[in-house]
Amino acid sequence: MNHRMRAVLECCLLLGAVAVHSESQPVGYSAAGLYNLANSYARAGKPGMAILNYERASLLVPYDPDIQANLRAVRASAHLFSETPDAFDRVATIVSPFWISWIGVLGIALLGASMIVGQLASRYRLARAAAALLGASMVALTLCNALALWPRFHQGVIIAAATQVRVSPVPMGDPLFTLPEGEKVKISAEHEGFALIETRAGRAGWIAHSNFAPIVPR
Amino acid sequence: MRRNHIQRIRLAVLGLLGVLIAAAAWADDPLVYATIQPAQILLGESAQFTITNLGDGTNPITMPVVPGLKFEIIGRTREVQLINGTTLPSSSIVMRVTPQIAGIFTIPAVTPKAQPLVLQVNAASSGASIPHPTGPRAPIPPPIFSGGSIPKGVRLTDDGSAYVRLSIPKREVFVGESVPIEIEVGMRSGFVSSLNGLPKLSDDNFALNNLSRQPERTEKLINGETFVLLTWRSTLAVVKPGAYSLAAQVPLTVKIRTRPKQETSLDDRFGDPFWQNLFGATIPKDINVTSPAHDLTVSELPAQGRPADFHGAIGTFSIASDVSPTKADAGDPLTLRMRVTGSGNFDRVDSSMLEHLDQWKTYPPKSSFNTSDPLAFSGMKTFEQPVIATRSGVQELPALAFSYFDPNTRRYETARSTPLSVSISPALADQTAPQAPSTAGLPENKYASGLRPDHVETTATSSLIPLYLQAKFLPVPSIVVLAFAAGWVSARRRRGVGGLESERIASRTAKRVLAQMQGAARAGDAVLFFDSARTALQSVLATRWQLAPEEITSTEVEGRVGADDEIRQLFALADEAKYSGRNLNATDFARWLRIVRRHLLSDKAA
Repeated sequence: MNHRMRAVLECCLLLGAVAVHSESQPVGYSAAGLYNLANSYARAGKPGMAILNYERASLLVPYDPDIQANLRAVRASAHLFSETPDAFDRVATIVSPFWISWIGVLGIALLGASMIVGQLASRYRLARAAAALLGASMVALTLCNALALWPRFHQGVIIAAATQVRVSPVPMGDPLFTLPEGEKVKISAEHEGFALIETRAGRAGWIAHSNFAPIVPR
Repeated sequence: MRRNHIQRIRLAVLGLLGVLIAAAAWADDPLVYATIQPAQILLGESAQFTITNLGDGTNPITMPVVPGLKFEIIGRTREVQLINGTTLPSSSIVMRVTPQIAGIFTIPAVTPKAQPLVLQVNAASSGASIPHPTGPRAPIPPPIFSGGSIPKGVRLTDDGSAYVRLSIPKREVFVGESVPIEIEVGMRSGFVSSLNGLPKLSDDNFALNNLSRQPERTEKLINGETFVLLTWRSTLAVVKPGAYSLAAQVPLTVKIRTRPKQETSLDDRFGDPFWQNLFGATIPKDINVTSPAHDLTVSELPAQGRPADFHGAIGTFSIASDVSPTKADAGDPLTLRMRVTGSGNFDRVDSSMLEHLDQWKTYPPKSSFNTSDPLAFSGMKTFEQPVIATRSGVQELPALAFSYFDPNTRRYETARSTPLSVSISPALADQTAPQAPSTAGLPENKYASGLRPDHVETTATSSLIPLYLQAKFLPVPSIVVLAFAAGWVSARRRRGVGGLESERIASRTAKRVLAQMQGAARAGDAVLFFDSARTALQSVLATRWQLAPEEITSTEVEGRVGADDEIRQLFALADEAKYSGRNLNATDFARWLRIVRRHLLSDKAA
């Protein structure tokens, strides 16, 4: 039994090491890089791209005060609504999603180990209960993080000034209303180079792909 | 003799009329009034302004002058009215009033005693500023009258009151072709009472398209007689091939003479129907005036050489194309335009423009037609197609083509435009490795104020999606879950097999020991009672403390649970009963039996 468990744990550690190694390759996005890029766009007078990159940076490091402060500043300068995270969001995003992932795995391991030990020995009940509670809390933290970030995976930022929202997904579709640059919208569907979006106020319509960018690139 | 008698009667009547007119002139000033119908029109329409003079008509009537209004005399009439038994001659001048601008116009009174008239002209709702096409205009048929005599091809009715002329500029046409035609109706002043309908063609295989609702009105002198000319313009459409003889018909009501022509020579000498009306010599009659027939050959379009994109356009056309803007980001919609100018059947001018282009996304085009020609025969049709470049770089839109049939050359032609180049920049949102925009030299803007400073670059990740949602990470928690689940199942199974067996044995042993103790209690055998109890408890405690049963001694028990514990006392009583022969009463047996049962069963439950 001990040999089996040791083999399982070694396998997990190996996979984890592979995952960490692959994540550490400097091939794409970094929170600092996105933050600096957003600052550059803000200095260049492009609030849409600035807000987009602040949002992307906050996905990687949601607790960074600089990112949140600059995001609020640019939104305020563009006369856009600034969202204030509630208590749930603050708790759920207290750690970066990268470490949250490993915390979740550790929580599963703690929970499983306490259950196995409970089967094998009837002693140390308090310690086993505490370990199980801690493991469940860590798994719950991961789930809450996913719940808090999930809406952002289906949101986009308007990057063109005075974007026309149309009634149908064609360039000659009748315009419904206009969205300002930097506005965050929910992406409901996509069709032939157009996306069906919904604003914070609940208004819906189609905009061209070139006029917005999803927070999580596809 | 009879002829002299008639002439005397006429001279007498003329004299009487002269007296009547002179008396009316002396009695009062002539009554002159004006009317305008309708009083409210749209810009581009005309109103009829009539000045009626109830008198001898010798007073000169001056043309009104109103800035912004154009007055044209289109007819003059004279008649005699019977009012309260008095015969009163009257004359009218009919003018066409055409506004040059929109507004409310006051037309001054024709006499000092009359009231001024008001004409309200509203701006046209649309089409007020249609651009003039650059293509060739529709061929205008030659004017019918170039002089005062009856021109060739015009056939007056028997009484000389009216005629209809159909003018077709060509003798051979093709099925589907639009041919501009002109229908002219000449009505001799005073001889035609009314026009009872629009012109029609004598053959049902032809159709008149865009027939003007209001004909042009002019006045001509033909053989010394005044004729009012009404001219309609239309396009002729043919639906069936063949050889036809085509004529135009117009329903009219004319005044015909009721007396022999030789008796009306005086009337004709005066040259006016006034005299015939005066003597009751005419009656109204409805007639259909028909134009001389035109021979027309209608041919099928040739099947040979017909292009695949031919949609039925017949005429003379040319095309041009452009795209705007010429610089855009990938994903931005561009507008590709194709302009077809020329003359022909524009209702069949159609194009699907570009379809299924690599690196372009195309949408169905929409078209609009601009013309200043009321027949819509010449003008410019514009097709607008939205296109979206899917790749960045300098992209080329291929040449557009438009096929039509030219009736002059009798063959199909294909007009082509030149290819268009567009510079497409990559979309900012599509940049996977975005580059910071250069801010050097840019002035400080409102978005840059109060920004916190840049950070030091750190390690990068390949995706913004959290690790726990990435496919490559999912095996890690999955394997952990499976491993611990397997371990838990294995532990449970293992505990289940050993535990059940030991529980079963313990239960059987406990029952046996308890039965033995009950028997010893009934027999009052304290030695057997406590010996059985100690043996059973030794076995239980040995399992609990991971010791051999023989190692469970009084000293060991005392060391683990203390001297005051029930088990320690039981072990001491067992020694005492064994070596001193101590006896117990029934109450003590029952008490120790409960204690032993509790320990045995509690251990089983644990």
